[in-house]
Amino acid sequence: MSATVTQDMSMFHLIGSASLPVQLVMALLLVTSFLSWWFIFRKLFVIRQAMRQSDEFENVFWKGPDLNALYQSAASSRHTAGSMERIFEAGFREFIKHKRQPGMDISTVMDGTRRAMRATYQREMDSLESHLSFLATVGSVSPYVGLFGTVWGIMNSFRGLSNVTQATIAHVAPGIAEALIATAMGLFAAIPAVIAYNRYANNIDRLATRFESFMEELSNVLQRQATG
Amino acid sequence: MALRGSSQVEPGRVPAGVLAVLVHIIFFAFMIFGLNWKTYPPEVMMVDLWSNLPQPEQPITKATPPPPAPAPVQPPPEVKPLPPEPQTPPPPPKPDIALKEKIEKPKPVEKKPSEKELKELKEKELKAQKEKEQKEKKEKEQKEQELKAQKEKELKEQQARIAAEVEQLQREQEANNRRQAQAAAQSRLGNEIAEYKAKILAKIKGHIIMPPDLPGNPVAEFDVTLLPGGDILDVKLRRSSGFAAFDSAVERAIFLAKPLPLPPDPALFPKFRNLSLKVHYRE
Repeated sequence: MSATVTQDMSMFHLIGSASLPVQLVMALLLVTSFLSWWFIFRKLFVIRQAMRQSDEFENVFWKGPDLNALYQSAASSRHTAGSMERIFEAGFREFIKHKRQPGMDISTVMDGTRRAMRATYQREMDSLESHLSFLATVGSVSPYVGLFGTVWGIMNSFRGLSNVTQATIAHVAPGIAEALIATAMGLFAAIPAVIAYNRYANNIDRLATRFESFMEELSNVLQRQATG
Repeated sequence: MALRGSSQVEPGRVPAGVLAVLVHIIFFAFMIFGLNWKTYPPEVMMVDLWSNLPQPEQPITKATPPPPAPAPVQPPPEVKPLPPEPQTPPPPPKPDIALKEKIEKPKPVEKKPSEKELKELKEKELKAQKEKEQKEKKEKEQKEQELKAQKEKELKEQQARIAAEVEQLQREQEANNRRQAQAAAQSRLGNEIAEYKAKILAKIKGHIIMPPDLPGNPVAEFDVTLLPGGDILDVKLRRSSGFAAFDSAVERAIFLAKPLPLPPDPALFPKFRNLSLKVHYRE
Protein backbone atom coordinates (compact mmCIF):
# COMPACT_ATOMS: atom_id res chain seq x y z
CA MET A 1 0.00 0.00 0.00
CA SER A 2 3.04 2.17 0.01
CA ALA A 3 2.46 2.82 -3.66
CA THR A 4 3.15 6.46 -4.07
CA VAL A 5 1.23 8.42 -6.61
CA THR A 6 4.34 9.37 -8.53
CA GLN A 7 6.03 6.43 -10.17
CA ASP A 8 9.60 6.51 -11.23
CA MET A 9 9.11 6.12 -14.96
CA SER A 10 12.68 6.44 -16.11
CA MET A 11 13.49 3.89 -18.77
CA PHE A 12 16.22 2.19 -16.81
CA HIS A 13 13.95 1.82 -13.85
CA LEU A 14 11.28 0.31 -16.07
CA ILE A 15 13.71 -2.12 -17.66
CA GLY A 16 15.20 -2.99 -14.30
CA SER A 17 11.83 -3.75 -12.78
CA ALA A 18 10.68 -5.90 -15.69
CA SER A 19 10.32 -9.62 -15.20
CA LEU A 20 13.12 -11.95 -16.24
CA PRO A 21 11.66 -13.19 -19.56
CA VAL A 22 11.01 -9.64 -20.63
CA GLN A 23 14.53 -8.67 -19.69
CA LEU A 24 15.89 -11.62 -21.64
CA VAL A 25 13.84 -10.64 -24.66
CA MET A 26 15.14 -7.12 -24.38
CA ALA A 27 18.73 -8.29 -24.14
CA LEU A 28 18.24 -10.57 -27.14
CA LEU A 29 16.75 -7.75 -29.12
CA LEU A 30 19.55 -5.43 -28.14
CA VAL A 31 22.14 -7.90 -29.37
CA THR A 32 20.17 -8.56 -32.55
CA SER A 33 19.76 -4.91 -33.20
CA PHE A 34 23.46 -4.31 -32.68
CA LEU A 35 24.41 -7.15 -35.01
CA SER A 36 21.96 -6.06 -37.67
CA TRP A 37 23.28 -2.50 -37.58
CA TRP A 38 26.80 -3.82 -37.76
CA PHE A 39 25.95 -5.84 -40.87
CA ILE A 40 24.04 -2.95 -42.31
CA PHE A 41 27.13 -0.77 -42.18
CA ARG A 42 29.47 -3.54 -43.33
CA LYS A 43 27.31 -4.35 -46.33
CA LEU A 44 26.97 -0.67 -47.07
CA PHE A 45 30.73 -0.33 -47.31
CA VAL A 46 31.16 -3.58 -49.24
CA ILE A 47 28.51 -2.84 -51.84
CA ARG A 48 29.65 0.73 -52.29
CA GLN A 49 33.18 -0.47 -52.83
CA ALA A 50 32.09 -3.17 -55.26
CA MET A 51 30.16 -0.62 -57.33
CA ARG A 52 33.00 1.86 -57.33
CA GLN A 53 35.54 -0.79 -58.35
CA SER A 54 33.29 -2.09 -61.11
CA ASP A 55 32.90 1.43 -62.47
CA GLU A 56 36.63 1.97 -62.40
CA PHE A 57 37.42 -1.35 -64.06
CA GLU A 58 34.83 -0.91 -66.78
CA ASN A 59 36.26 2.51 -67.50
CA VAL A 60 39.74 1.09 -67.90
CA PHE A 61 38.60 -1.97 -69.82
CA TRP A 62 36.61 -0.11 -72.49
CA LYS A 63 39.43 2.33 -73.12
CA GLY A 64 40.89 -0.63 -75.02
CA PRO A 65 44.30 -1.19 -73.50
CA ASP A 66 46.34 -4.32 -74.02
CA LEU A 67 44.46 -7.21 -72.43
CA ASN A 68 47.74 -8.88 -71.41
CA ALA A 69 48.85 -5.80 -69.50
CA LEU A 70 45.44 -5.57 -67.85
CA TYR A 71 45.68 -9.21 -66.85
CA GLN A 72 49.17 -8.66 -65.34
CA SER A 73 48.00 -5.77 -63.18
CA ALA A 74 44.88 -7.67 -62.10
CA ALA A 75 46.89 -10.76 -61.14
CA SER A 76 49.38 -8.74 -59.13
CA SER A 77 46.75 -6.83 -57.17
CA ARG A 78 44.45 -9.76 -56.56
CA HIS A 79 43.68 -8.85 -52.92
CA THR A 80 42.65 -5.31 -53.61
CA ALA A 81 40.93 -5.94 -56.94
CA GLY A 82 37.20 -5.65 -57.38
CA SER A 83 34.80 -8.42 -58.33
CA MET A 84 34.71 -7.54 -61.99
CA GLU A 85 38.47 -7.41 -62.20
CA ARG A 86 38.70 -10.84 -60.66
CA ILE A 87 36.15 -12.26 -63.06
CA PHE A 88 38.22 -10.86 -65.90
CA GLU A 89 41.40 -12.27 -64.42
CA ALA A 90 39.94 -15.77 -63.99
CA GLY A 91 38.54 -15.82 -67.50
CA PHE A 92 41.68 -14.49 -69.15
CA ARG A 93 43.94 -16.92 -67.30
CA GLU A 94 41.83 -19.85 -68.48
CA PHE A 95 41.86 -18.46 -71.99
CA ILE A 96 45.67 -18.14 -72.07
CA LYS A 97 46.14 -21.62 -70.63
CA HIS A 98 43.96 -23.14 -73.33
CA LYS A 99 45.57 -21.06 -76.06
CA ARG A 100 49.03 -22.31 -75.13
CA GLN A 101 47.94 -25.90 -75.71
CA PRO A 102 48.11 -26.51 -79.46
CA GLY A 103 45.27 -27.95 -81.43
CA MET A 104 42.47 -26.79 -79.17
CA ASP A 105 39.09 -26.13 -80.71
CA ILE A 106 38.02 -22.51 -80.31
CA SER A 107 34.62 -23.46 -78.89
CA THR A 108 36.27 -25.63 -76.23
CA VAL A 109 38.53 -22.76 -75.26
CA MET A 110 35.57 -20.41 -74.97
CA ASP A 111 33.59 -22.94 -72.92
CA GLY A 112 36.42 -23.32 -70.44
CA THR A 113 36.85 -19.57 -70.21
CA ARG A 114 33.17 -19.06 -69.61
CA ARG A 115 33.07 -21.71 -66.87
CA ALA A 116 35.99 -20.15 -65.09
CA MET A 117 34.35 -16.72 -65.23
CA ARG A 118 31.04 -18.11 -64.00
CA ALA A 119 32.71 -19.82 -61.06
CA THR A 120 34.37 -16.60 -59.99
CA TYR A 121 31.18 -14.68 -60.56
CA GLN A 122 29.27 -17.03 -58.30
CA ARG A 123 31.89 -16.80 -55.60
CA GLU A 124 31.76 -13.02 -55.77
CA MET A 125 27.99 -12.97 -55.62
CA ASP A 126 28.09 -15.26 -52.62
CA SER A 127 30.44 -12.98 -50.74
CA LEU A 128 28.35 -9.95 -51.68
CA GLU A 129 25.16 -11.60 -50.54
CA SER A 130 26.55 -12.93 -47.30
CA HIS A 131 24.74 -11.70 -44.16
CA LEU A 132 21.88 -10.38 -46.22
CA SER A 133 19.74 -13.26 -45.03
CA PHE A 134 20.53 -12.25 -41.47
CA LEU A 135 19.09 -8.82 -42.14
CA ALA A 136 15.99 -10.42 -43.64
CA THR A 137 15.57 -12.64 -40.60
CA VAL A 138 15.98 -9.77 -38.18
CA GLY A 139 13.52 -7.72 -40.14
CA SER A 140 10.84 -10.35 -40.06
CA VAL A 141 11.36 -11.94 -36.66
CA SER A 142 12.40 -9.27 -34.22
CA PRO A 143 8.96 -7.59 -34.13
CA TYR A 144 7.52 -10.91 -33.03
CA VAL A 145 10.18 -11.33 -30.40
CA GLY A 146 9.46 -7.85 -29.10
CA LEU A 147 5.77 -8.59 -29.17
CA PHE A 148 6.37 -11.72 -27.16
CA GLY A 149 8.15 -9.68 -24.50
CA THR A 150 5.31 -7.19 -24.46
CA VAL A 151 2.64 -9.83 -24.16
CA TRP A 152 4.53 -11.47 -21.35
CA GLY A 153 4.94 -8.19 -19.50
CA ILE A 154 1.30 -7.25 -19.91
CA MET A 155 0.23 -10.70 -18.74
CA ASN A 156 2.29 -10.20 -15.62
CA SER A 157 0.98 -6.76 -14.91
CA PHE A 158 -2.60 -7.92 -15.29
CA ARG A 159 -1.98 -10.90 -13.06
CA GLY A 160 -0.74 -8.51 -10.41
CA LEU A 161 -4.00 -6.64 -10.77
CA SER A 162 -6.02 -9.59 -9.55
CA ASN A 163 -4.95 -9.02 -5.95
CA VAL A 164 -6.21 -5.49 -5.91
CA THR A 165 -9.79 -4.80 -4.95
CA GLN A 166 -9.93 -1.41 -6.59
CA ALA A 167 -8.19 -1.65 -9.91
CA THR A 168 -6.88 1.59 -11.26
CA ILE A 169 -4.97 2.28 -14.42
CA ALA A 170 -2.05 3.27 -12.19
CA HIS A 171 -1.62 -0.35 -11.20
CA VAL A 172 -1.14 -1.63 -14.74
CA ALA A 173 0.37 1.38 -16.45
CA PRO A 174 4.00 0.86 -15.37
CA GLY A 175 3.91 -2.81 -16.31
CA ILE A 176 2.49 -2.06 -19.73
CA ALA A 177 4.96 0.76 -20.27
CA GLU A 178 7.90 -1.48 -19.46
CA ALA A 179 6.49 -4.25 -21.64
CA LEU A 180 6.03 -1.89 -24.55
CA ILE A 181 9.72 -1.05 -24.43
CA ALA A 182 10.29 -4.56 -25.73
CA THR A 183 8.09 -3.88 -28.75
CA ALA A 184 9.84 -0.60 -29.34
CA MET A 185 13.19 -2.34 -29.34
CA GLY A 186 11.94 -5.05 -31.67
CA LEU A 187 10.70 -2.46 -34.12
CA PHE A 188 13.89 -0.49 -33.78
CA ALA A 189 15.84 -3.57 -34.81
CA ALA A 190 13.42 -4.62 -37.55
CA ILE A 191 12.73 -1.45 -39.47
CA PRO A 192 16.31 -0.59 -40.48
CA ALA A 193 17.00 -4.24 -41.18
CA VAL A 194 14.10 -4.51 -43.61
CA ILE A 195 14.98 -1.25 -45.33
CA ALA A 196 18.62 -2.24 -45.61
CA TYR A 197 17.78 -5.70 -46.87
CA ASN A 198 15.56 -4.42 -49.65
CA ARG A 199 18.04 -1.80 -50.70
CA TYR A 200 21.05 -4.11 -50.66
CA ALA A 201 19.24 -6.91 -52.46
CA ASN A 202 18.36 -4.47 -55.20
CA ASN A 203 21.93 -3.15 -55.38
CA ILE A 204 23.36 -6.66 -55.57
CA ASP A 205 20.92 -7.59 -58.31
CA ARG A 206 22.08 -4.67 -60.39
CA LEU A 207 25.71 -5.60 -59.78
CA ALA A 208 24.94 -9.16 -60.87
CA THR A 209 23.44 -7.95 -64.15
CA ARG A 210 26.49 -5.81 -64.77
CA PHE A 211 28.81 -8.77 -64.10
CA GLU A 212 26.85 -11.06 -66.37
CA SER A 213 26.78 -8.63 -69.24
CA PHE A 214 30.48 -8.01 -68.75
CA MET A 215 31.14 -11.75 -68.91
CA GLU A 216 29.27 -12.01 -72.20
CA GLU A 217 31.12 -9.05 -73.64
CA LEU A 218 34.48 -10.34 -72.48
CA SER A 219 33.87 -13.76 -74.03
CA ASN A 220 33.05 -12.01 -77.32
CA VAL A 221 36.28 -10.03 -77.16
CA LEU A 222 38.34 -13.13 -76.34
CA GLN A 223 36.72 -15.14 -79.10
CA ARG A 224 37.54 -12.40 -81.59
CA GLN A 225 41.13 -12.43 -80.34
CA ALA A 226 41.38 -16.23 -80.67
CA THR A 227 40.04 -16.31 -84.19
CA GLY A 228 41.70 -13.06 -85.25
CA MET B 1 41.65 -22.22 -55.47
CA ALA B 2 42.97 -21.25 -52.05
CA LEU B 3 44.16 -17.96 -53.40
CA ARG B 4 40.89 -17.26 -55.11
CA GLY B 5 38.88 -18.24 -52.05
CA SER B 6 40.52 -15.60 -49.90
CA SER B 7 39.01 -13.04 -52.27
CA GLN B 8 39.46 -9.51 -51.09
CA VAL B 9 39.70 -8.06 -47.60
CA GLU B 10 36.30 -6.87 -46.55
CA PRO B 11 36.33 -3.12 -46.10
CA GLY B 12 35.22 -1.28 -43.01
CA ARG B 13 34.53 -3.99 -40.48
CA VAL B 14 35.63 -1.91 -37.53
CA PRO B 15 34.11 1.37 -38.68
CA ALA B 16 30.85 -0.51 -39.20
CA GLY B 17 30.97 -1.74 -35.62
CA VAL B 18 31.69 1.75 -34.33
CA LEU B 19 28.82 3.14 -36.36
CA ALA B 20 26.47 0.47 -35.08
CA VAL B 21 27.36 1.33 -31.50
CA LEU B 22 26.87 4.99 -32.30
CA VAL B 23 23.42 4.34 -33.72
CA HIS B 24 22.39 2.58 -30.54
CA ILE B 25 23.78 5.28 -28.33
CA ILE B 26 21.80 7.84 -30.28
CA PHE B 27 18.72 5.69 -30.05
CA PHE B 28 18.98 5.34 -26.29
CA ALA B 29 19.79 8.99 -25.85
CA PHE B 30 16.64 9.76 -27.76
CA MET B 31 14.64 7.36 -25.64
CA ILE B 32 15.95 8.88 -22.45
CA PHE B 33 15.97 12.56 -23.26
CA GLY B 34 13.48 12.76 -26.09
CA LEU B 35 10.64 11.25 -24.15
CA ASN B 36 9.31 12.61 -20.93
CA TRP B 37 9.49 9.59 -18.71
CA LYS B 38 8.65 11.32 -15.49
CA THR B 39 5.06 11.40 -14.53
CA TYR B 40 3.85 14.22 -12.44
CA PRO B 41 1.00 13.68 -10.03
CA PRO B 42 -2.07 14.94 -11.82
CA GLU B 43 -3.09 18.36 -10.63
CA VAL B 44 -6.14 17.75 -8.54
CA MET B 45 -9.04 19.69 -9.96
CA MET B 46 -10.93 21.45 -7.25
CA VAL B 47 -14.44 22.22 -8.34
CA ASP B 48 -16.56 24.07 -5.85
CA LEU B 49 -20.24 23.59 -6.44
CA TRP B 50 -22.20 26.57 -5.25
CA SER B 51 -25.81 25.85 -4.59
CA ASN B 52 -26.53 29.63 -4.46
CA LEU B 53 -24.31 31.77 -6.56
CA PRO B 54 -24.67 35.19 -4.85
CA GLN B 55 -22.61 34.20 -1.88
CA PRO B 56 -19.38 35.61 -3.19
CA GLU B 57 -21.19 38.74 -4.39
CA GLN B 58 -22.92 39.53 -1.13
CA PRO B 59 -19.94 41.19 0.43
CA ILE B 60 -20.11 43.74 -2.39
CA THR B 61 -23.76 44.61 -1.84
CA LYS B 62 -23.07 44.79 1.83
CA ALA B 63 -20.22 47.11 1.18
CA THR B 64 -22.32 49.53 -0.85
CA PRO B 65 -24.93 50.41 1.82
CA PRO B 66 -22.37 51.68 4.33
CA PRO B 67 -21.32 54.72 2.23
CA PRO B 68 -24.73 56.41 2.69
CA ALA B 69 -24.66 55.58 6.37
CA PRO B 70 -21.64 57.67 7.34
CA ALA B 71 -23.06 60.80 5.66
CA PRO B 72 -26.10 61.13 7.94
CA VAL B 73 -24.04 60.30 10.97
CA GLN B 74 -21.89 63.38 10.55
CA PRO B 75 -24.59 66.07 10.62
CA PRO B 76 -25.98 65.25 14.08
CA PRO B 77 -23.11 66.69 16.09
CA GLU B 78 -23.62 70.12 14.47
CA VAL B 79 -27.33 70.15 15.08
CA LYS B 80 -27.47 68.81 18.58
CA PRO B 81 -26.48 71.92 20.48
CA LEU B 82 -29.11 74.20 18.87
CA PRO B 83 -32.54 72.71 19.42
CA PRO B 84 -33.58 71.44 22.78
CA GLU B 85 -34.70 68.03 21.87
CA PRO B 86 -37.20 66.03 23.68
CA GLN B 87 -36.11 62.89 22.03
CA THR B 88 -32.99 61.06 22.94
CA PRO B 89 -32.26 59.12 19.75
CA PRO B 90 -28.61 59.75 19.13
CA PRO B 91 -28.84 60.31 15.41
CA PRO B 92 -31.01 63.39 14.94
CA PRO B 93 -29.68 64.61 11.66
CA LYS B 94 -29.93 68.31 11.18
CA PRO B 95 -28.54 69.39 7.86
CA ASP B 96 -27.30 72.83 7.08
CA ILE B 97 -30.77 74.16 6.20
CA ALA B 98 -31.92 73.82 9.78
CA LEU B 99 -28.92 75.73 10.94
CA LYS B 100 -29.62 78.70 8.67
CA GLU B 101 -33.18 79.00 9.88
CA LYS B 102 -31.95 79.11 13.41
CA ILE B 103 -29.53 81.85 12.72
CA GLU B 104 -32.01 84.00 10.82
CA LYS B 105 -34.66 83.91 13.50
CA PRO B 106 -32.68 85.48 16.28
CA LYS B 107 -32.04 88.54 14.11
CA PRO B 108 -35.65 89.75 13.77
CA VAL B 109 -35.97 89.42 17.51
CA GLU B 110 -33.26 91.98 18.01
CA LYS B 111 -34.38 94.34 15.26
CA LYS B 112 -38.01 94.78 16.26
CA PRO B 113 -37.34 95.83 19.78
CA SER B 114 -34.89 98.45 18.67
CA GLU B 115 -37.33 100.12 16.23
CA LYS B 116 -40.07 100.27 18.75
CA GLU B 117 -37.89 101.82 21.34
CA LEU B 118 -36.88 104.54 18.91
CA LYS B 119 -40.51 105.35 18.12
CA GLU B 120 -41.53 105.37 21.69
CA LEU B 121 -38.77 107.72 22.58
CA LYS B 122 -39.81 110.15 19.86
CA GLU B 123 -43.66 110.08 20.15
CA LYS B 124 -44.84 108.60 23.36
CA GLU B 125 -42.47 108.00 26.07
CA LEU B 126 -44.67 106.82 28.85
CA LYS B 127 -47.94 105.73 27.25
CA ALA B 128 -46.29 103.67 24.74
CA GLN B 129 -44.86 101.41 27.33
CA LYS B 130 -48.10 99.53 27.71
CA GLU B 131 -48.52 99.15 23.99
CA LYS B 132 -44.97 98.16 23.82
CA GLU B 133 -45.46 95.58 26.43
CA GLN B 134 -48.50 94.36 24.59
CA LYS B 135 -46.63 94.30 21.38
CA GLU B 136 -43.77 92.59 23.04
CA LYS B 137 -46.18 90.08 24.36
CA LYS B 138 -47.64 89.63 20.94
CA GLU B 139 -44.23 89.35 19.46
CA LYS B 140 -43.25 86.92 22.09
CA GLU B 141 -46.32 84.92 21.31
CA GLN B 142 -45.53 85.21 17.68
CA LYS B 143 -42.00 84.16 18.33
CA GLU B 144 -43.14 81.31 20.41
CA GLN B 145 -45.52 80.29 17.69
CA GLU B 146 -42.79 80.55 15.16
CA LEU B 147 -40.53 78.61 17.40
CA LYS B 148 -43.19 76.03 17.89
CA ALA B 149 -43.78 75.76 14.17
CA GLN B 150 -40.13 75.51 13.65
CA LYS B 151 -39.83 72.89 16.29
CA GLU B 152 -42.65 70.98 14.75
CA LYS B 153 -41.00 71.28 11.40
CA GLU B 154 -37.77 70.11 12.86
CA LEU B 155 -39.53 67.35 14.62
CA LYS B 156 -41.09 66.24 11.40
CA GLU B 157 -37.82 66.41 9.62
CA GLN B 158 -36.22 64.56 12.44
CA GLN B 159 -38.88 61.96 12.35
CA ALA B 160 -38.43 61.53 8.63
CA ARG B 161 -34.74 61.30 9.18
CA ILE B 162 -35.16 58.86 11.96
CA ALA B 163 -37.44 56.82 9.80
CA ALA B 164 -34.84 56.84 7.07
CA GLU B 165 -32.23 55.91 9.56
CA VAL B 166 -34.32 53.18 11.00
CA GLU B 167 -34.79 51.89 7.50
CA GLN B 168 -31.10 51.96 7.02
CA LEU B 169 -30.55 50.26 10.32
CA GLN B 170 -33.00 47.62 9.27
CA ARG B 171 -31.14 47.18 6.06
CA GLU B 172 -27.91 46.85 7.94
CA GLN B 173 -29.51 44.42 10.24
CA GLU B 174 -30.67 42.37 7.32
CA ALA B 175 -27.15 42.33 6.01
CA ASN B 176 -26.01 41.34 9.45
CA ASN B 177 -28.56 38.61 9.52
CA ARG B 178 -27.35 37.39 6.20
CA ARG B 179 -23.81 37.44 7.43
CA GLN B 180 -24.84 35.61 10.51
CA ALA B 181 -26.66 33.05 8.41
CA GLN B 182 -23.56 32.56 6.39
CA ALA B 183 -21.48 32.19 9.49
CA ALA B 184 -24.04 29.78 10.79
CA ALA B 185 -23.85 27.78 7.58
CA GLN B 186 -20.11 27.72 7.89
CA SER B 187 -20.26 26.63 11.43
CA ARG B 188 -22.75 24.00 10.37
CA LEU B 189 -20.23 22.80 7.78
CA GLY B 190 -17.62 22.87 10.48
CA ASN B 191 -19.91 20.83 12.64
CA GLU B 192 -20.43 18.38 9.85
CA ILE B 193 -16.71 18.06 9.27
CA ALA B 194 -16.12 17.53 12.95
CA GLU B 195 -18.97 15.05 13.06
CA TYR B 196 -17.59 13.00 10.20
CA LYS B 197 -14.09 13.13 11.58
CA ALA B 198 -15.47 11.73 14.78
CA LYS B 199 -17.32 9.09 12.77
CA ILE B 200 -14.15 8.13 10.94
CA LEU B 201 -12.26 7.89 14.18
CA ALA B 202 -15.03 5.83 15.72
CA LYS B 203 -15.11 3.45 12.78
CA ILE B 204 -11.36 3.00 12.93
CA LYS B 205 -11.51 2.47 16.67
CA GLY B 206 -14.07 -0.23 16.14
CA HIS B 207 -11.53 -2.17 14.14
CA ILE B 208 -8.54 -1.78 16.41
CA ILE B 209 -7.49 -4.87 18.23
CA MET B 210 -5.74 -3.20 21.11
CA PRO B 211 -2.53 -4.75 22.29
CA PRO B 212 -3.05 -5.45 25.95
CA ASP B 213 -1.44 -3.76 28.89
CA LEU B 214 0.37 -0.78 27.51
CA PRO B 215 1.45 1.66 30.15
CA GLY B 216 0.02 5.16 30.11
CA ASN B 217 -2.03 6.51 27.27
CA PRO B 218 0.12 6.39 24.13
CA VAL B 219 -1.02 8.36 21.10
CA ALA B 220 -0.33 7.32 17.52
CA GLU B 221 -0.66 10.01 14.85
CA PHE B 222 -1.36 9.01 11.27
CA ASP B 223 -1.59 10.96 8.05
CA VAL B 224 -4.25 9.34 5.90
CA THR B 225 -4.79 10.22 2.26
CA LEU B 226 -8.30 9.50 1.09
CA LEU B 227 -9.93 9.01 -2.26
CA PRO B 228 -13.35 10.50 -2.96
CA GLY B 229 -15.10 7.20 -2.40
CA GLY B 230 -13.75 6.96 1.10
CA ASP B 231 -11.08 4.56 0.03
CA ILE B 232 -7.62 4.89 1.47
CA LEU B 233 -4.84 5.88 -0.84
CA ASP B 234 -2.02 6.12 1.62
CA VAL B 235 -1.39 5.83 5.31
CA LYS B 236 1.68 7.28 6.91
CA LEU B 237 2.71 7.09 10.51
CA ARG B 238 3.43 10.67 11.44
CA ARG B 239 4.26 10.18 15.06
CA SER B 240 4.71 6.80 16.60
CA SER B 241 3.17 6.09 19.93
CA GLY B 242 6.37 4.42 20.97
CA PHE B 243 4.77 1.01 20.84
CA ALA B 244 5.14 -0.69 17.49
CA ALA B 245 2.36 -3.11 18.32
CA PHE B 246 -0.08 -0.28 18.90
CA ASP B 247 1.05 1.56 15.76
CA SER B 248 0.58 -1.46 13.55
CA ALA B 249 -2.74 -2.30 15.19
CA VAL B 250 -3.99 1.18 14.36
CA GLU B 251 -2.65 1.01 10.82
CA ARG B 252 -4.35 -2.30 10.23
CA ALA B 253 -7.54 -0.90 11.69
CA ILE B 254 -7.41 2.06 9.31
CA PHE B 255 -7.27 -0.26 6.33
CA LEU B 256 -9.96 -2.50 7.78
CA ALA B 257 -12.21 0.49 8.30
CA LYS B 258 -12.36 1.39 4.63
CA PRO B 259 -14.38 2.81 3.08
CA LEU B 260 -14.29 5.54 5.66
CA PRO B 261 -17.51 7.48 6.17
CA LEU B 262 -17.47 10.76 4.31
CA PRO B 263 -20.07 13.51 4.28
CA PRO B 264 -22.44 13.25 1.33
CA ASP B 265 -21.60 16.78 0.24
CA PRO B 266 -18.69 16.36 -2.19
CA ALA B 267 -17.67 19.97 -1.62
CA LEU B 268 -16.50 18.95 1.79
CA PHE B 269 -14.19 16.27 0.49
CA PRO B 270 -11.11 18.50 0.25
CA LYS B 271 -11.24 18.80 4.03
CA PHE B 272 -10.90 15.06 4.22
CA ARG B 273 -8.35 14.46 1.51
CA ASN B 274 -5.46 14.58 3.91
CA LEU B 275 -6.67 13.54 7.28
CA SER B 276 -4.48 13.56 10.29
CA LEU B 277 -5.74 11.15 12.87
CA LYS B 278 -4.79 10.91 16.50
CA VAL B 279 -5.63 7.63 18.11
CA HIS B 280 -5.38 7.32 21.84
CA TYR B 281 -4.79 4.04 23.51
CA ARG B 282 -7.24 4.84 26.25
CA GLU B 283 -10.13 7.21 26.01
